Amino acid sequence: MSFRALRYTAFYACLVLIGAVFVTPYLLAFFGAFKSQANLFASSPWSPPHSFYTGNFRTILFTDDFLRYLGNTALTTTVLTAGQVTFGVLAAYAFARLEFPGRDWLFSVYLATLMVPNVVTLVPLYTMMREFHLTNSYWAIVLPYVLGSPYTIFLMRQYFRSLPSEVFAAARVDGCSEWRILTRILLPMGKPIIITATIIAFVFGWNNFLWPLIATDTNSMQVLTVSTAALQSSFSDQWNLVLAASLVSLVPLLLFFIAFQKHIVKSVQLSGINR
Amino acid sequence: MRKRTTRTPLRASPRRASPRRVALAGVVSVLLMTAAACSSGSSTSSGGSGGSGASGATVNLTYAQWTTPESTGYQKSIDAFEKLHPNIHVTLENFAYNDYQPKLTTEFSSGGGPDVYWVNTPMIATWLKDGVMEDLTSKIAAAHIDLSQYIQTLVTLHQFNGKLYGLPKDWDTIAYFYNADYFTQHHITVPSGLTWNPTDGGTWLTFLKSLTYDTSGHNALSSSFNPNSVATYGSDSPNEMQWGFEPYLAEDGVKLINQTYAKTVSFNTPAATQTFQFLTDLMYKYHVAAPGSDLGTDAAANNTEDQTLFAKGKVAMIEGGSWEIAGIAQEVKFKLGVLQSPAGPAGNWTVVNGLIDSINAHSPNQQAAWELEQWLGSPQSEQIMGSGGYIWPGIGSLDPQFASYWSAHGVDVTAFETESKWNTVYWPVTPGMNQAQLDIANLLAPAYLTGRNVGAAVDAAAKQANNDLATAG
Amino acid sequence: MQTADRLTAAAAPGPAAGPRSSRGRRARRGLRRLATAAPFVLPSLAGVLLFLVVPVVIVLVLSFFQWNFLTPPHWVGLANFGTMTRDYHVFHALETTAFYVLWNIPVQTVIALGLAVLLNRRMPAMGFFRALYVLPYMATPVAMAVVWGWVFNAQYGLINHMLSVIGVHGPDWLGGTSTALPVVAMVNTWQYAGYNMLFFLAGMQTIPPALYEAAAIDGASAFRRFTRITLPLLNSTMLFVLVTDVIGSFQVFDTVYVMTQGGPGTSTTVINYEIYSTAFRNFDVGSASAMSLLLFGVILLVTFVQFRIFRNRTTYEVS
Repeated sequence: MSFRALRYTAFYACLVLIGAVFVTPYLLAFFGAFKSQANLFASSPWSPPHSFYTGNFRTILFTDDFLRYLGNTALTTTVLTAGQVTFGVLAAYAFARLEFPGRDWLFSVYLATLMVPNVVTLVPLYTMMREFHLTNSYWAIVLPYVLGSPYTIFLMRQYFRSLPSEVFAAARVDGCSEWRILTRILLPMGKPIIITATIIAFVFGWNNFLWPLIATDTNSMQVLTVSTAALQSSFSDQWNLVLAASLVSLVPLLLFFIAFQKHIVKSVQLSGINR
Repeated sequence: MRKRTTRTPLRASPRRASPRRVALAGVVSVLLMTAAACSSGSSTSSGGSGGSGASGATVNLTYAQWTTPESTGYQKSIDAFEKLHPNIHVTLENFAYNDYQPKLTTEFSSGGGPDVYWVNTPMIATWLKDGVMEDLTSKIAAAHIDLSQYIQTLVTLHQFNGKLYGLPKDWDTIAYFYNADYFTQHHITVPSGLTWNPTDGGTWLTFLKSLTYDTSGHNALSSSFNPNSVATYGSDSPNEMQWGFEPYLAEDGVKLINQTYAKTVSFNTPAATQTFQFLTDLMYKYHVAAPGSDLGTDAAANNTEDQTLFAKGKVAMIEGGSWEIAGIAQEVKFKLGVLQSPAGPAGNWTVVNGLIDSINAHSPNQQAAWELEQWLGSPQSEQIMGSGGYIWPGIGSLDPQFASYWSAHGVDVTAFETESKWNTVYWPVTPGMNQAQLDIANLLAPAYLTGRNVGAAVDAAAKQANNDLATAG
Repeated sequence: MQTADRLTAAAAPGPAAGPRSSRGRRARRGLRRLATAAPFVLPSLAGVLLFLVVPVVIVLVLSFFQWNFLTPPHWVGLANFGTMTRDYHVFHALETTAFYVLWNIPVQTVIALGLAVLLNRRMPAMGFFRALYVLPYMATPVAMAVVWGWVFNAQYGLINHMLSVIGVHGPDWLGGTSTALPVVAMVNTWQYAGYNMLFFLAGMQTIPPALYEAAAIDGASAFRRFTRITLPLLNSTMLFVLVTDVIGSFQVFDTVYVMTQGGPGTSTTVINYEIYSTAFRNFDVGSASAMSLLLFGVILLVTFVQFRIFRNRTTYEVS
């Protein structure tokens, strides 16, 4: 082999090795979830299961009620995403393309809240939910986030501002209402960033742990993160079950990633840090 | 960008329509959320739910406890209770011990919580202050319950300002579980009247030395004993309050707190440092107790590491409380014995403790809960628990039943009973003690893991404990 | 982890107000503009006020009280702040968090930079590897922490299994006070290195190749080209990545909760976990509020310091 070909092979081998580090935990979870408990402890962790034992998933989804938790998570995440993106687009449009008194001052307030660590708001939010008897409901899980997130509003606003102003000016001259401008012009032009915001919101909602942990303490209202953690502490020896439970959370996001990976990679560039 | 193919006429879409459209989007989103919320679960947490208690309707009670081997016995007791009270159904709820107080407090704080629940001594002061424990004094008087049937020290433990918050249903003291087969194998006779002192360890140290054997078969009394190659240690020195150092501190004249509801700890004294030095010397100077690291990174047996060591034969004895006997007996394959703790410079002291069932002051099923409480504190229920070998019953006259169960199973448990007649000290009762206990263990850990800087560790532990007591109000 | 994505750049000021007119007409126009904008802004404004601004105010107030959710709160003035200075928990938690940040950030940044350098080429399959390395970012932290707990399990985990193959007896990673925190830090590094790599890649791709060519002609080695051209021009990217990562690591919780529960002992009790524990396991709301304010202050300080460090670095003129 020529020296060049050798270097190429070495380079790609390197990349594959690094890739293996990033992929192995997923593989291990996958293998472990399909082994029975006895088999799991008898075989080495990186050996694939001989046969795909589905008992773990049957236990997890039905006996341990993970199907319900999956439903809870899907529902709350969808609602959270829908709300956050909808209200976020509206706000971002207003901050980017509308003029009104106090606009920039208000926007700085939004930005300032980005510095607040999430733990600071935990106790007050919990207290508020308790006062209104909203703990242990889907409301509690979703409410603090559904009206918009300053971060995604910021991202979208930056992007909307970078769109050519002539289009908007022309539309206004033509007498289009702001609503029409939003739906007919902004939404199509802003699709990339809106998709980015949707991805960010969905991933956030799906992975959210600390707030649902506090806001719900009955079993039926748990989301996947909370129930996976609880399962792990009560069944600490039954790794086969525990790994199956974590797969229930990981697989949907994995599919989501495979479907949207181009957008996810692009979203970094759209974050506009180099603007 | 989508090209506009038609120009919209000037008046076709007046601006005034736009806010309405936006509002419509908002309304749709709200409707979406409402639909989601309508399928949500109830907004109140689990707790005393169920019927109104009117005769005929079934009342559902929840009875909370932490996971112990006693649960089997309690289920039997509950079954008997339900036969006598067909309109009351009791559900047992189990929690891990570390989660018990936080989870229950969370439930209490939203107005719910179980109807009847176990209360351990470190939890009393906080829950009393929180107002979640129902005062049962008048109910007890009205039902003419004879309090003198209970061991008096237990009644006093659960009385505050003259009010009683539960019927004493069990008690425990601290002694030593020993491997009787090991004793036989090494021709060791079970001694009595052993004493310890901080200067030279006393006859207790000599006894421990006779129990400790190295891999070449020499015990610690012999000059060819190899402390680096110990096969079996005589005992353990766990970094535990109730069944570790508190009895020893008491025997050296040191109390953890001077009185119930004290605001400061009182173990920041030279005598306390002396005691801790003695306990850690057993591990690192005399090598007769298993090193602290065998019990975990804090030298405390949080996950029954001491029982594991004992079952494996790595230690000949472990310090422990009588409530552990059922679990230990299940785990070990050798003959089990119970040995009395040694006396100290201040005489014979032990830690006596007992649980009560408290009635949730906010429970909607007060009458049914009181029925359950009476039952659990009654001779009938305590007899089920005692004669089944689960726990020493709080009613003194029933104690022989516990003893005879265990003697029938080859274990002589009279040491626990003997110690109950000694000077006793309580597991400290004061707000903030639960947190203080954790902090004390964490700050004593370096001393328990190395045997060095004991004085500094005691200082730090006392300071932090004072902080915890002060902040608990 | 939304917090890791947070940007800290300030908003640019908007364009100047409209043309001069009489005050009355201007006021009316302003009002009309407000009315137009209101439906767009109000929902998110309600959210920001209700769920971000008001809670901060409440925490401020609560820090002067003692409360346990059960009985009514009572005023204690500055007592919570006072005990905080004497409490070994708080100092220890901050110390642990600092160690965590020190274990996490440098390693993560170097790896991310390295990966970006590796993948910043025009060669086949770069896109594939880029996506592959970002994969961990999409893992639910709680679920992944569970899997990593399995990987580092003392008896059955992959790591100790691999070590035993070469004859080494692996330690109890999560049960040892000196190993638990680095393991937790490493898990987070694994999760976000690829995502940070994307930022560096984006930054590198804005550097004109002409600069590199010129330097190569002048005889600069690859290493020199990296340190003299790439790094300085990545200044703003570096600042962004560091600031968001540091803020993110101060808020680590999920991994700690699942893998170690703050243990063994208190060796992984980072400040976020301590605050959660104080509020929701000890029910000491006043102390927890005081601690959150402290955390807030620390984050602001650290961010400010980072901005200062990076603001004064020179940038090259690009012709």
